Amino acid sequence: MTASRLRSFLAGTQTSSALLSLAALPMAVILVLVVAMFWVSLQKGALGTPSAIYTLANYREVFADPFIIGVAVNTLIFTVTATLVALLFGLPVAWLVERTTLPGKTLLYAIMTLGLLIPGIYTAMGWTLIAHPRIGLVNRWLVDLFNLDAGPINIATPIGMGFVQGLSLAALAFILTSQMFRAMNPSLEEAARVHGMSFGRIMRRITLPLARPGILAAVIYIFTIGIATFDIPAILGLGNRVYLLSTFIYLKVHPQGAGLPEYGITGVVGAFMIVVAGLLTLWYSQTLRQGHRFEVVTGKGYKPTLIPLGRWSLAAWGFILLYALFSKLLPLLLIAYAALTPYFVPPSMESMKHLSFSHFHGMDWELVLRGLKNTALLVTVVPLAVLLLAFALSWLIVRSRSRLRYVLEFGAFLPQALPEVILAIGALLLALFVIGSRIPLYGSVWIIAIVYIVARLAFATRALNGSLLQIHRELEEAAFVSGLSTARTAWRVLFPLIRPTLFSVWIWTALLVYRELTAAVFLAVHDNITLPAVIWSYWYSGSINKASAVTLLMTLVLAPLIFIAWWFGRRSQVSLN
Amino acid sequence: MIIRLTAVVAALLCLAGQAGATTLNELIEGARKEGTLRGQWGQASFGGSEGFKEIVANINKKYKLDLKGQYTPGPDMQALMLRIIQEAAAGQPASTDVYLGNAQAMLDGLNSKALRPMTYNQFIQDKPANEGQFNPIAADGTHVAVATAVVGVQFNTNAVKGNDIPKRIEDVLNPKWKGKIASTPYAAGMREFATPDFLGREKMVDFTRKLSKQIAGLMRCGEVERITSGEFIMLAFTCGGNDVNVAKRTGAPVGHSVMEEGTVLHMRYAAVPKNSRSPNAGALLIHYLLSAEGQELLWRIDGLDLHLFPGSQTKRELDIVRAAKGKIIINSPAWLASFKDYAAIQKELEGILRQK
Repeated sequence: MTASRLRSFLAGTQTSSALLSLAALPMAVILVLVVAMFWVSLQKGALGTPSAIYTLANYREVFADPFIIGVAVNTLIFTVTATLVALLFGLPVAWLVERTTLPGKTLLYAIMTLGLLIPGIYTAMGWTLIAHPRIGLVNRWLVDLFNLDAGPINIATPIGMGFVQGLSLAALAFILTSQMFRAMNPSLEEAARVHGMSFGRIMRRITLPLARPGILAAVIYIFTIGIATFDIPAILGLGNRVYLLSTFIYLKVHPQGAGLPEYGITGVVGAFMIVVAGLLTLWYSQTLRQGHRFEVVTGKGYKPTLIPLGRWSLAAWGFILLYALFSKLLPLLLIAYAALTPYFVPPSMESMKHLSFSHFHGMDWELVLRGLKNTALLVTVVPLAVLLLAFALSWLIVRSRSRLRYVLEFGAFLPQALPEVILAIGALLLALFVIGSRIPLYGSVWIIAIVYIVARLAFATRALNGSLLQIHRELEEAAFVSGLSTARTAWRVLFPLIRPTLFSVWIWTALLVYRELTAAVFLAVHDNITLPAVIWSYWYSGSINKASAVTLLMTLVLAPLIFIAWWFGRRSQVSLN
Repeated sequence: MIIRLTAVVAALLCLAGQAGATTLNELIEGARKEGTLRGQWGQASFGGSEGFKEIVANINKKYKLDLKGQYTPGPDMQALMLRIIQEAAAGQPASTDVYLGNAQAMLDGLNSKALRPMTYNQFIQDKPANEGQFNPIAADGTHVAVATAVVGVQFNTNAVKGNDIPKRIEDVLNPKWKGKIASTPYAAGMREFATPDFLGREKMVDFTRKLSKQIAGLMRCGEVERITSGEFIMLAFTCGGNDVNVAKRTGAPVGHSVMEEGTVLHMRYAAVPKNSRSPNAGALLIHYLLSAEGQELLWRIDGLDLHLFPGSQTKRELDIVRAAKGKIIINSPAWLASFKDYAAIQKELEGILRQK
């Protein structure tokens, strides 16, 4: 009996039906949304009404536009730069925090997390004030110092924008790779050290190759975010007529003054992104296929040791603070300034005299609280659902030997590749025209929750895949042979080992849900508006001061909570450190 | 058969809607029974959430009601109209009991039959005057013009002063402004200037080519902070000067200038969606906005009012244009419907503007 159970486990046929059912649920939703996306991409006019017509015009409009080549090149440069910059900062910080004796790790986690509370528009505006060719402080200083005709730095290039975007995305690179460094068994590194290998060679030959699945997952995730990102290219790029895919599509979708929004165009982008996602998943799957090479947590003794930094701690913190200054502190100061100034002018001694709390007094607090209530509900429900579904998916992707795992991997990653507005349009059309009044989903916070759960699966599975890959099967096999069910094996063996990752995924999903915007704006009717949608509505209408006031207030409230959450999480043995 | 039956029922419902409130008192009583007024439009329009609160408070005071107002920020005007059309097609209640938006969205709503005909002519006492062919209250009772946004040039008053302030369209091409000014990605104003009634397509295409070489980049209407910060010192052309009227009151260094050749009036309309849950309350809001108090409030919260009223602030701005023998185009649903090449011209101008 035991032998047959073990055989079926090893063959991958003993996949829990509960896990399979859990994984099937989001897959069904994703499939429906993808079908809706193709359906949308083939239509022009008011979708869902008799005036909509079936046509390939949306595809022609995107791919036959001579602008598309330049846009594609710009997007590629931007995305590659953003990914590299994100890894340049995120990866070393992740390694420092998980593999060394760097002091103040909880604070570091809080600093990295804080970035998610800052909308990208502020990062873009902050960099406009620093490096705009004409009004940028650094450029003005350089012009005065060297008597130049024009500012030498121009942030509004694909590389410049990619740099700014990369600073924002470094936090994601950090979280996606830190779990892997945390769970990594240092025995191979220690063995190399004993044999006299230098630090640089250990890094190159052992640490980074072992971290490859996690790094690759982070690269793919960040790359797809880079392609779809809108706020920084909209502020820095459009202002200088440098177009990326997102801003190019925005201009095509929103024909201000002439006609209805052309959401079919977004469907075309979704179709294109499915191809990109397919290629990226294929690449990722190649790595997963060799998953056993990265299994370093085994049933044998496992005691992670940390590399003593000594005086290098100061240099490490210097690097971290420099990053924090440009990516977090500067936008935060800008938010505070914009919240207190009556109108937006570059900061000066004169403008400081006019600072006041008038924007806080003039705020519609009923609206803000309505948004806060819905956001709190989403932040509570969505991360738990994501964790549950993502664990089921990741376990099947990493542990199953069925070909189905490739489908699951591709399916879980798809929502990341699809423009979020497409997920929202699909949900809206389904709620309006298919479900109708049978289930009162339209206009409720639950329709937003469903879109968020689907959209966040890619992030959660990426993080969990990396961790599960490092847990050797022998631990589960031992539990299984001892008579534990799959569910109990997961609960008693796997969960304790990947608890740090689960905690990270939970807190990061909560924060990503907290700041999520596109779907919320698209699906907000009355009772389901979220706080980011309220902030966005102020910003979009030109009330940047009120948008800043709400953002500042929420950041001040959430920053200590985030610190406490990380402190509690790390203190209660959530971290293996 | 089913389709015919549905059409008959829909027609009867429309008539019932019209017959339901033929006098102001009936409208007020209808609103009282409804009890709630839901509003959804952009925060930039009509004072946003704070403006809506004031409007509802004033309606309650003026008509002795106790309406509960609920405002939710919405997407841009056309995207919101698309949603209203889809909600109507799906038989769902409308997101908003009253729609406030532009002429293009109104035309889309009319084409999709998503707007509810009301007997505005019967219960609106302070009727605004007609202007030529333009009737602010649609004959079929589907929509009413409540305010006027006047297209011009927005500028930073610290950087553009005195005689430098553009007075004629060509003034924005002054080499002094090269690389310092912006335009909109959607060719605001210029698409209307290109109509045969105004400067014509050829002249505007030529102008737009020159402007495209002159501008540093593109920005949306309403991003006043990008002008006050000095990122751009001028926006040619605006969707209307109303945001400047509001920003100026805070002391922001921003001004708005209307061109002597003429201008475009981006009319702001109000309408009750076909599937509004509180159509009487929605119509009452429209009634209020067309009253003297409503117009005063609109000027205060959104920097615009309807130029057809004798005491209108916007009218004063237009009187200057008229005195200079400038042309004035009223961007209305009827005007848009009559101008078949509008979308094509807009695309052409957008294409020119996006190239450096």
